[in-house]
Amino acid sequence: MSDETTASAARATAGAIGHGTLVDPRGLSARTDRAGTTRPAVVRTLAFLRKLYGLVQRYFPQFLIAGIAFAILKVYANGGLTLMGAQIKNALVLGAIYALVAIGYTMVYGIIELINFAHGDVFTLSGFYAFVIAGLSGGAIGSLATHSGIGLLLALLIIFPTTMVAAGFTGVVIERVAYRRLRDAPRLAPLITAIGVSFLLEGLMLVIFGADNRPTKLSSWITGRAVRVAGVDVNWKDIFVVATALGLMFSLGAFVRITTLGKAMRATAQDRSASLLSGINVNRTISATFFIGSALAAAGAIVYSINYDLIQWNLGYQLGIIAFTAAVLGGIGNIVGAGVGGFIIGVISVFGGQLAGGEWSNSLVFAILVIILTFRPVGLFGVDVTTRA
Amino acid sequence: MILTKRLLPVVGVMGIAALSACGTSSTSSSSSGGGGGNLASCQGTFTVATDLPLTGGDATDGPPVEKAAHLAVTQALANKTLGGCTLKYVSKDDATVLKNGHDPAQGAANITALSGDSSVVGVVGPFNSSVAVAEIPIASQNHLPLISPANTNPGLTQAGTSASIDTNSLYPGVHSYFRTIGTDITQGEILAYVATKELNFTKAYAIDDQETYGKGLSTFFQKSFTADGGTIVGTASLPGTTKQFQTQVADAQSKGAQVIFFGGTSGNGCGILRSQMPASIPELGGDGCQDNKFITDAASNAAGAQVTSAPDASKLPTATKFYSDFKSTYNEDGTESPYTPYGFDGMNALIQAIKAVLTANNGQPPTDPMTFRDSVAQQLHKLNYPGATGTVAFDKNGDTTQPGFSLYTINGTAWAPKQLLTADASGKVTVAS
Amino acid sequence: MTGTAAVLTGADAGSGMPVLELREVDVLYGRVQALRGVSLTVGAGEIVALIGSNGAGKTTTLRTISGLVRPSKGSILLRGQPIHTLGAEKIARLGVGHAPEGRRLFGRMTVRENLDMGAYSRKDRAGVRSDFERVYELFPRVKERSGQLAGSLSGGEQQMVAIGRAMMARPTVLLLDEPSLGLAPIVVENLFAVIREINQGGTTVLLIEQNALLALNTARRGYVLEVGEVATSGPSQELLRSPEVQRAYLGM
Ligand SMILES: Nc1ncnc2c1ncn2[C@@H]1O[C@H](COP(=O)(O)OP(=O)(O)OP(=O)(O)O)[C@@H](O)[C@H]1O
Ligand SMILES: [Mg+2]
Repeated sequence: MSDETTASAARATAGAIGHGTLVDPRGLSARTDRAGTTRPAVVRTLAFLRKLYGLVQRYFPQFLIAGIAFAILKVYANGGLTLMGAQIKNALVLGAIYALVAIGYTMVYGIIELINFAHGDVFTLSGFYAFVIAGLSGGAIGSLATHSGIGLLLALLIIFPTTMVAAGFTGVVIERVAYRRLRDAPRLAPLITAIGVSFLLEGLMLVIFGADNRPTKLSSWITGRAVRVAGVDVNWKDIFVVATALGLMFSLGAFVRITTLGKAMRATAQDRSASLLSGINVNRTISATFFIGSALAAAGAIVYSINYDLIQWNLGYQLGIIAFTAAVLGGIGNIVGAGVGGFIIGVISVFGGQLAGGEWSNSLVFAILVIILTFRPVGLFGVDVTTRA
Repeated sequence: MILTKRLLPVVGVMGIAALSACGTSSTSSSSSGGGGGNLASCQGTFTVATDLPLTGGDATDGPPVEKAAHLAVTQALANKTLGGCTLKYVSKDDATVLKNGHDPAQGAANITALSGDSSVVGVVGPFNSSVAVAEIPIASQNHLPLISPANTNPGLTQAGTSASIDTNSLYPGVHSYFRTIGTDITQGEILAYVATKELNFTKAYAIDDQETYGKGLSTFFQKSFTADGGTIVGTASLPGTTKQFQTQVADAQSKGAQVIFFGGTSGNGCGILRSQMPASIPELGGDGCQDNKFITDAASNAAGAQVTSAPDASKLPTATKFYSDFKSTYNEDGTESPYTPYGFDGMNALIQAIKAVLTANNGQPPTDPMTFRDSVAQQLHKLNYPGATGTVAFDKNGDTTQPGFSLYTINGTAWAPKQLLTADASGKVTVAS
Repeated sequence: MTGTAAVLTGADAGSGMPVLELREVDVLYGRVQALRGVSLTVGAGEIVALIGSNGAGKTTTLRTISGLVRPSKGSILLRGQPIHTLGAEKIARLGVGHAPEGRRLFGRMTVRENLDMGAYSRKDRAGVRSDFERVYELFPRVKERSGQLAGSLSGGEQQMVAIGRAMMARPTVLLLDEPSLGLAPIVVENLFAVIREINQGGTTVLLIEQNALLALNTARRGYVLEVGEVATSGPSQELLRSPEVQRAYLGM
């Protein structure tokens, strides 16, 4: 093997020098070769690159963690504890929202291997649902929320379930109308359909709610500072966002682990026809997956509104891609991975933005996407394909 | 639309042809009287026009300015400012249904049509810088004086000040463009003055929206702020779609910024940034932020924004008569748009220049319409006229020598003008009212 | 062999209503015809074997019965009721258990969860619990491994779980697709003993098996499929004596 590649590399050089012929393509794919003293530089470089690739691939999580730790420490060195603390807070809040959206991507991918491009727009649409519901009967829920502690609790108990159920049904309808018939079609068909659904939803929202961002007025629901740690104001709002995300994620984890429907989801994700043979209603299970994924996106949209007080027709486009990156980072199909991935992406975009400049935040996130797809397509907590029965 | 665009060059050429052919027809009642500088002997009718967005989404921008310009014509006729000669007034709308507001292509078509009319000696307009970019070359080729009451883009007159405008290519013919309002360079100077002298800040953090206007304004502000002794502790350039500014706000706070400057528009996040800032740190911005969207977006945090925008001349003693005349003519206050008196001054500047041309030419209009227009432009450069907004005079670029901007803050639920500040050629800022 | 006597006590296929009946079933995969006019019956309490060479259409037959594939012609009756228009999960609920080719376990779920899934549609908790016990009794190895991920089991253990999972629905008919595939001879022997035990418990079995001798010794009757068509059928002993079967499937 080694001899032959050396030989072919030599032939390649000879050919290139002597006759000006095309380089033997095999010469470019030469394996590492210890004996070769006459190897051309290109082969040596390629061997080195391949080694580097293998190294990065193998220690990807370590590299990532080291990079993040470095970024956080660098921010600490530059701006001190307060800046570091403030940015960690920002990263957690942003990460919580990304995580909630990422879960929907990962669940749907896990069960029907579809990148549901419309998911980001379901997030946006849910924001508008919350906006409309909060504005019903002259903003009665809003006045309730700002009235007293109990009022706030009641308002949250109204807005969360109603919005999440409405969003859940939206997801179910999308699956039923757009994806179900294409379930056994070639992969590209549902993918393109998903992009179409995304455009359709964006167009609808643009027409109905206009091009401008709409203030949702949800930011006044939760106000005030909870604690001040190391000079960082941690507001109730921040705590609420992160706690809601974590609470919902743990509930989902328990649901999928313990309940019959949750198990049916996992079973369907692993083997659809075996699930059918076990009497699992696969259609209903897939519907349930869309319902839950969309409902979590809706929860994300509500906490987004409470935190940022705005919603806009195209908000989910970019946020969707970022959340999708989080899902890929965690290992698409892996719910825990999506949650963790969301927070990691939050950290990357905030600390990356701090260190490299805000204009680089998104580019960094997408660079991460490319890096994962190159070095570790299965993500951090990737599904081990060999254990698939 | 496409048709109009295609016809443009044709119409332009036809306009010039028409000019040279029947050039003398309407102004040729000349040299019969001959009494040196005697305007009473003047004979002829010249046309002055406005080109402003009057309909669609811009229906609040153009109409009051148009009315003010029209008022200036009416008063000149009543006062026989041009003696025996009279003025005809034409109003053009550069807004289209397609664009739901100002449309550069429509502006170009309007200027082409006006250029082709040999009786037209000058135009007040346009309102928007993008329209100006389309109109200036046509006006330049046809020697037609244009006086804008609202264009703030410095690139229209000063080469190298705007990333998106090639200034030199705007003037293929003569330089006949003027404006009665200051540029964003002045706006930056005045914002820096407010930050350093009025608010006593020494550390600022600057964010822009990556667009020509926002980046430009931010650069001008930073330059002046540093020149005034302040320090820019940090900058960020974020796309207009940005909805989260916390990272930058935290960065600014940790660097000890006393104020965050935003170069950009409300559509690109000026108000959203405000809503995510601590109330204790004020936000500083330019005219792109001064609208209702800012107030909606900034929500409960809206107070604490300090923004420069169109000079509000309503409190100037020189403007008292204009506003009372406006009120008695139109039964409107004329204060809802700050640009209104600048339209009035623009038209008066044009009339005064025409008067100067006539006086210099023995009370008679020049026989060649091109010569007439060139003479008007020359007189505009020499002009020093006490207008409603202050002294109206132009430098060699056609920019006003007394550019001003007003500071606005949010008072309850609306923007309220505070002091009017003006800057001189050296960048020295004074409080005018 | 040991099972033969037990099988002979089962109901005769000809008498009474068959539990499962295929009538003139055609199956198309796109333009490829996999089954051509396949008719077969399985009587209550029988073990019926389905043999044939690779690609003959055995798996397709079972998948068609289960509703994973739709016949383009013909009908399938379960206890006299047509089922070929129903969805696969409905057919499973009506009492057709299927341990598919290649086991198809839920590899990232535990053994217990796999069995749980088998009982997915059942509401009688007590019955499910006793069926768990029964499966654990039949396959003590499965009980030992109940907390382990199914994907990490050995091939034999996986096959036991696959059969156990199908049994958890308490099916009237159990479809087994090459349960012996890839297993050591001793394991195969044990497995078939259990299959006979299951049958003695009252479950009708339709069995695909490459080892024709083993299949026909276990089953009461058999069908031979060739290129999507039933070539011959009859009682196992007759088939074992048939020269064609001997030549083609018994290597004699
Ligand atoms: N999904 C499919 N699409 C197209 N053709 C298929 C499909 N599944 C099976 N076939 C074809 O149908 C025929 C019957 O296949 P089947 O799997 O039923 O054979 P089998 O008898 O079970 O063979 P084996 O003993 O190898 O398991 C084969 O020719 C096969 O290639
Ligand atoms: Mg098979």
